Amino acid sequence: MSSTEQGTSSAAPAEPTTAPESAAAPEVPESFYYVHGKDKVVHKVSAGALQHSALIHGMISNLGYTEEQAKANPFPFENIDGDILQMVVDWCNQHKGKPTPPEDTNLPKQKEKLFDLVLAVNYLEIKELLTYCCKQVAMMVKGKSPEEIREIWMIPTDAEDEAAEKEAKKRAGKEAAGETAAAAGDAK
Amino acid sequence: MKLSTFPYGVQKEIFDNMKIPNLFLLSFVSKNMKKLIKSSQMTRFKSISHIVNGKSISPGIDRRIYIPFMTMADNIMEISERREETKNDYFQLNVSGKTMDFRLSNQYKFAEAYFHPLDKEAAIESIHNYLVDIFGDTVDYQYVEHYKKFVPHLPKLSLCHSFWSGNGERIRDIKPIEEYIASSPVLKRTNMNLDTPDLFNPESKFYQIESIYLTLYTNTVPTFLRHFQGRQAFLTCYKWEILDLIEFMNRWKSGEECRKYKIGFHPNTDPIISHSYVVRKTDNRVASVSIQKEAFCFGVWNKTEEQFLRMVA
Repeated sequence: MSSTEQGTSSAAPAEPTTAPESAAAPEVPESFYYVHGKDKVVHKVSAGALQHSALIHGMISNLGYTEEQAKANPFPFENIDGDILQMVVDWCNQHKGKPTPPEDTNLPKQKEKLFDLVLAVNYLEIKELLTYCCKQVAMMVKGKSPEEIREIWMIPTDAEDEAAEKEAKKRAGKEAAGETAAAAGDAK
Repeated sequence: MKLSTFPYGVQKEIFDNMKIPNLFLLSFVSKNMKKLIKSSQMTRFKSISHIVNGKSISPGIDRRIYIPFMTMADNIMEISERREETKNDYFQLNVSGKTMDFRLSNQYKFAEAYFHPLDKEAAIESIHNYLVDIFGDTVDYQYVEHYKKFVPHLPKLSLCHSFWSGNGERIRDIKPIEEYIASSPVLKRTNMNLDTPDLFNPESKFYQIESIYLTLYTNTVPTFLRHFQGRQAFLTCYKWEILDLIEFMNRWKSGEECRKYKIGFHPNTDPIISHSYVVRKTDNRVASVSIQKEAFCFGVWNKTEEQFLRMVA
């Protein structure tokens, strides 16, 4: 398992202006956690950066891990591609403790990468990044005709929707019949 | 990128970030997409107070459908009559069961619908039905047109007529206008220049028009103020007496003029910022009064005196 050190050290807390220098509060060491995606590459991320993710923040808030325990137990996100998780980690680090700007122009321009990022960000519950991503997805169809929109977002036609619905009903019917037959077999 | 594989919350967030004209075009992609837009944007669409089908300001285009106070880029669509066959850059869309030719506007890329003049009535009806289907029936749909031109009579469509050609045309014979108004449903909004010693019959539906922009060349102000039952009137008067206004205010204070909301004497159509007010005896409602230079404004608040004073404090 390889490892990348993505974390940034925390800034020293601001000293109270009226207090003497010797009375400054001791610097609290920042805690770090570890995450990996489908590619098993482990990313070290500070708790401050991870606060952007409601999912991870919820997971770590009650753990009380030591550095060693955290390192030994990286959070596995097997449903997220390594490069996408890297993008997410980079974004969290860049925006750690900062107010998020109204626009983010550093999102992937490729359709499929943006799509994967949306799913990852939605899963990790990173609200601000999700908003940026959704804005970018919305921009993809700005000024496009309905047919062009269909192509970009791969929206099925009415006929395809109807066929899929019929198929789903058929499948559900078969499954229900199978369950009934199995139940009857059990009863015998 | 398959939009359908996104969870509903993500789809909603994407739609929340789309402008209305783009959502309108998206709604034509499939029936399911239209359903999804309607359900996810319900709150947004309910906040639209009215959608206007009025004259276009784009060259060569007849009409535009828009949400007032938004920019040109936010036009929902434009429509135009066209006698000749359409060319390759047009695409066809099914608008409430009617297939129509469309293209995207050059500058802003909103939808432009084209139809043959003989098809106008059916086309306007289909478009209106489609708008009601998408944006819901809480929106007030308004059709703005000169009264001598084609005017559709459709359910859920308010009519806003201009009786003024724009070149200062004055109405000197009130009879044909009176007959026209009597034969129409009550209008939502109108504007006209009246140069006549008499006003409409007191029973006329003219006085029920919700919003009136009126230029009076003779002093028919007292008659108008006595009979008007709508919500807003903006009057430009060449002759008027202060006593008529005082009489109007006294009648309002006594509760006689209980349905009036706002009277403005041109040119002031801005919000009334005056703290001068009168109180109606019957229900303690307040009306702001402003007299500045030659402009008299009278606006009724849906507030009691106590609530009004708290608001302006």
